[in-house]
Amino acid sequence: MIQSASLLESWTQENNQLASGCKLSPHVFLLLCLSLSGIPPHLDRAQLELSVVYNTCVCFTAQSQFDEAELLLTQTAQRLLQIAGDDPGTSDPSVLWRTALKSVTGTALHRRVLSLLCLQWGVWLAKSRLTAVQDFQEMSLLEAQSGAVWNDCRAETKEKISNIPILVLDPRRLVDLLKICTAIVQGAERLTEGWSVLSALQAASASPAPRALIAYTHLLSGSCLAHMNRPQMALQCYRKALETDPRCVCALYQSALIYSRLENSQAEIQALRILHSMLLLPSTTEPAMAAGRLLSPSLFLCSQSLSSLLSVPSALSVLHSLALKCVIHSRVSEGVECYLDLLAALQSEDQHGVRVHAVVSTLPKLPRLYLEAGAALLMARRPADCMALCDEVIGSTLDLLPEKVLLEDPVARRVAGSGEVTEEAENGLVRLLWTAAAYLLQGHCYSQLKDWKQAVTHYTRCINLLVKVHYKDTDKDPEQGVDLCVLQRLKGLSLAGRGISFAQIDRLREALRDLQLSRQAHPEGVSARRWYGEVLWRLDRKQEAAACWEQTWSNPIPSLSEALPVYAQELQSGPLLDSAELHQKLQELGPT
Amino acid sequence: MMEGRCAAESWAEFGLLGKSGTPLVKCGTGTDVFICTGGEEVYVFTAQEKTLRVSPSYTLGESSGILRMGDRLENCCCCASNVCKSDLTFHLFGDQSFSHDAGSGPTELKISTECLVAVADRASSLLVVGSVLLTLCRTDASWSLTLYQIQRTSQSDPCDLLASFSLPLVSPKVQSDAESRCVLVCVYPGNLMPASSPPHPLRSHYPLQPLLFRRLFGAEAALSKSPVVLCGLPDGRLSFLPLRIPGSRLRILHSLEQSVVFVGASAVMETDAGCAGCLIALGKQGRAVLIRAGRAGLEGGGGTRFTLGCVPGPVECACMDQSRVYYSTGSDLLMVDLWDGSSGTAGRQGDKEDEASRSNPAAFLTPISLNVSGVVALHQPTYSSAGEWMTPHMDSLSNGFILFSFRASVLKTIIRSKNQILKQLNQVMNISFLLSNRSESDLKPVRCRGSVRWSRLLQRDSLNLTCVLENLSPFILERGWTLSVTVLPLSCPLEAGGEASSVNYSFPFSGLGPEESVEVSLPVATAGDASFPVTVTCSLLFSLWRFLGQEEATAPLDLQSACFSLPLNTLTVDWLDALRLSDPPAPARSSSSPADLLQGFISSRQLRCRGGGQASRPEEYSARVRVSSELLRDALGLAPGSPRVSLLEWLLSEGCGGVKMERKGIKTDGSSSVICGSAPDNATVKLTVNVEEKTKPLVTVEVQVKSSSVAAVCGLHHAVMRRIQVWEASSVGVSSGQTPPLLLRVYQQLRDGPLLIL
Repeated sequence: MIQSASLLESWTQENNQLASGCKLSPHVFLLLCLSLSGIPPHLDRAQLELSVVYNTCVCFTAQSQFDEAELLLTQTAQRLLQIAGDDPGTSDPSVLWRTALKSVTGTALHRRVLSLLCLQWGVWLAKSRLTAVQDFQEMSLLEAQSGAVWNDCRAETKEKISNIPILVLDPRRLVDLLKICTAIVQGAERLTEGWSVLSALQAASASPAPRALIAYTHLLSGSCLAHMNRPQMALQCYRKALETDPRCVCALYQSALIYSRLENSQAEIQALRILHSMLLLPSTTEPAMAAGRLLSPSLFLCSQSLSSLLSVPSALSVLHSLALKCVIHSRVSEGVECYLDLLAALQSEDQHGVRVHAVVSTLPKLPRLYLEAGAALLMARRPADCMALCDEVIGSTLDLLPEKVLLEDPVARRVAGSGEVTEEAENGLVRLLWTAAAYLLQGHCYSQLKDWKQAVTHYTRCINLLVKVHYKDTDKDPEQGVDLCVLQRLKGLSLAGRGISFAQIDRLREALRDLQLSRQAHPEGVSARRWYGEVLWRLDRKQEAAACWEQTWSNPIPSLSEALPVYAQELQSGPLLDSAELHQKLQELGPT
Repeated sequence: MMEGRCAAESWAEFGLLGKSGTPLVKCGTGTDVFICTGGEEVYVFTAQEKTLRVSPSYTLGESSGILRMGDRLENCCCCASNVCKSDLTFHLFGDQSFSHDAGSGPTELKISTECLVAVADRASSLLVVGSVLLTLCRTDASWSLTLYQIQRTSQSDPCDLLASFSLPLVSPKVQSDAESRCVLVCVYPGNLMPASSPPHPLRSHYPLQPLLFRRLFGAEAALSKSPVVLCGLPDGRLSFLPLRIPGSRLRILHSLEQSVVFVGASAVMETDAGCAGCLIALGKQGRAVLIRAGRAGLEGGGGTRFTLGCVPGPVECACMDQSRVYYSTGSDLLMVDLWDGSSGTAGRQGDKEDEASRSNPAAFLTPISLNVSGVVALHQPTYSSAGEWMTPHMDSLSNGFILFSFRASVLKTIIRSKNQILKQLNQVMNISFLLSNRSESDLKPVRCRGSVRWSRLLQRDSLNLTCVLENLSPFILERGWTLSVTVLPLSCPLEAGGEASSVNYSFPFSGLGPEESVEVSLPVATAGDASFPVTVTCSLLFSLWRFLGQEEATAPLDLQSACFSLPLNTLTVDWLDALRLSDPPAPARSSSSPADLLQGFISSRQLRCRGGGQASRPEEYSARVRVSSELLRDALGLAPGSPRVSLLEWLLSEGCGGVKMERKGIKTDGSSSVICGSAPDNATVKLTVNVEEKTKPLVTVEVQVKSSSVAAVCGLHHAVMRRIQVWEASSVGVSSGQTPPLLLRVYQQLRDGPLLIL
């Protein structure tokens, strides 16, 4: 008996040494655990054994070895039941724990079993077994009473410190952490459920927890409100989240999304700008909240919906959206700056470009970025820069272009299945469109420079490329729709551009032909129609011209949209017809 | 092709025995070379001192790679955690800890765990591109390429993880060869090597022709001028990843279907201006693919030409210069000239030849052996003086070859003995051609001369034949040859059943140089044994078992099948050779020994009995052969004065394929020369040569054989006839091949009718 007591003491000391050591590893505890489990379960040693198991499992959890932790916990529960002489006849963990807890109620082991049960909770949470977690929450109405028990134990600890096995993590801290994490995960999972979730999140936000976690509760409340179609309240919540934890960039991103939905483009641009500058700060995405702690909250926050909610696009993607928004919302010079920054970042040795593919990239393909930037430069009246960019695109794609692109029947293509082959086949078309767009932009540049001959040349190159695409004019396939739409628009724009250029050098018949063709390819083209009228006028077909112009008054040149690439839209970069002059002409005609 | 051969200087030979795994060799600073055998140690070889040291501070566990970065030795080494050896962890160490000053040498390198830059589990390859460190690791289900930022914010932190890409494993089969190393190289569009790179070319970094680059990796990669990382995986896949392109992923370029050992790039034409126009990948079993930009095809993005080929494998390691690939099969170092005018012509854009090489893929890669064996790792020298990209010339390359043989002792003896065997076989073949390509009439350059003498041993007389094997050829008969002498009596005593049985003697000898001879001695007959003439057939035997070393012991059973025999000349020992000459006249031999007397008595008794008791004195039998003396004089060149002595001398000489015997006691009186002796059957024999003048106008020389023994007379007559006929045949021109059967027939006639006297 004496020997056993001294053995117990030495084991306790070993545990305490390990627990107070600076390097915590589950393996060293596991060894102790094994030596304890080698002897038959006994009430005297149970206290120590449970403490060692607790320490081991905490270490396992810290290293994301949840399966090992769970196995050990289940085994411990079974041993406990052996002591008590109970046999629930099942290996279902929740039943096991229920029985085990019941068997130790009122004994000194109760709080130890409770802390183990908390660990089981953590494991369930980490493994996203939310139903089990919910069961546990229902079971642990115990919280109130357990609080009392733990207070006792505190007093006890103070009394005889040497005999009590040290725990590597205070169970109460564990409970606090698990509570808020559970609230966050459950909130993310049941975001659409409305008020009930919202109140749970509000409650959690008042609990003692790290700032980052509190910020998450605010963020989730915001998202919940956004789902409930209360964008302004959502914005308030996001603001609170940011105030709580300035590194909570996802709140900023979510705000930008809300502004976008509210069509508040200026606010959205502002939000994106701040977001971008925050993303450029070092290590903003990784909240350093677990410093000096054994268990990081991120261990328990691994639910799918939560991580999708917390994800933020890369800095470059943000920069691109910012640039595009600026260009579309008439802040061209800002947009140009953003585009140039973006291209510089992509070209630079600095590895932000590399970092991009850590998350799924929302950036468009590089040639398209070049072309968008080129369009922005054109709009900013920097044709030389635009041409340089287009030259690069043409240089890298021209010798990869297919002789001919045959777009098959969409139905047949769908049957053939998607995959690598389809992707390659589309690449031919996509590259062709890039090159054609580059030529189109160069044509625009030359017409901006009033070098009409060069403009005609480049528009012609664009047209020659575009006619290589053959397709059946069936109903538009949604997959291919965008490409076909771009194709039609490029055709319309390049024909219109050439027609206008011809008109400038008084080759009116060619101009009339091209403008006519342009109207067929892209009936919505406004400047083509106006110039068609103008050419008719100059050809002295004034009645027709007037009729044509009459139509165009009703629809002005549409503003840019995000649905299509900027370069496939009417940029108003070329020679414009003075509408006052047109009116005057019409009035002249009118009396006759 | 001779200029392709080079004299490689072997820096050192290392006996690093018992190290498994592919060794890895990297050039360090200056001439220091780091050798990593996959074991626990890293060896540092200093070329100037030509010494190899185990670097003590590298005892870190399983080392699986050494990395050379830039000009300095910045990152080096990787190891397993010492705790858990099965779990191979890859620790990369940064540069701060290396105080590599010129005096201290690489063994002074100190590495502390503080300079750990990244932990990569089961990493099998490393590459540094600009400021990014790439590791390729194999996980349970996929290959993962991980990117780290080398420039660190603080010294103690590990590198930032930038991104990770994965490619699923293709099949579980591949998991077995987890040990094989992956290949990581980086290609750049055009001459856009990063500015930070050192002036001389880095291994594993190749500038690629912009057109080829665009065609392979697409417009996006070309537009971003992004370096592209190529991974050659053990499952044969060649995948690529453009760095710097947002959202790019690992994609498959090609599959070799065998473990990729080498990926390189080569300049094709002078116009390429230092850019490589061709990508090359070599597989373990020798499959090769050349990737070039062809003409633009109808299909989009086409025009990339994949040419498949094969070189004799296995390819252990390889490196390349501008247009040549050097690879080692482990036992030989081979060179493939990719753009050899006669074969590949990939660069010359000859469409026809391109077609030809495509239709006959095996044709275009013909390796040339450099006769350097046992190369297990190759490294391109990095200290080329010219500083040009990818133009280390053959000379510099050969100086840079460091040859390691990790099983040096074993391998070398094997190779040496193989060479030895080949040399020997060559000699054997030379000799056998020499001996088998001649008609029988020619004198063979290796032949036997024979001489007989009676000797007495254990009171028994025996006729001993001494065979002298002469080597007049320019080749050495080396150890392993055996002289085989077969003694076959043409006839045998009637008591033996009339069936002649041959006796075979073998004399192995150890080496016979040109102009040397070896002498062997063997018994031909014993006294009283009258079975003459005896044909002695000499031949040379060579046993192939000799080449098989230990198995020689079991050889005799199969000797026949494993031997080949080259016939030499044939000697004949006839009655004349077997004559025992004595001083004439010898009515009774002056034999001193009582045994001889007794023997003589017994034989005389026998004869008397056989003679049916006719007369007490044995009957004299005789035979005569007449030869024209003029003919003799002309043909034999015998002296006109004493043709008789000369003829006797000639008869007893060793000409005409006979053997030499001791001569003595030719007695001349008046018109006749006489020689007396005893035949092997102990009968007294008298040979008389007379010049017969009475048969004029033809003066003849008469050879008379007289003996009491019919057998002796017949035998001697045959012997004389044989000699004259052999001589006649050779002078008249009868093919000598026909002679022996003719003689035999005559002799047999003589034997069959013993009383017929010519």
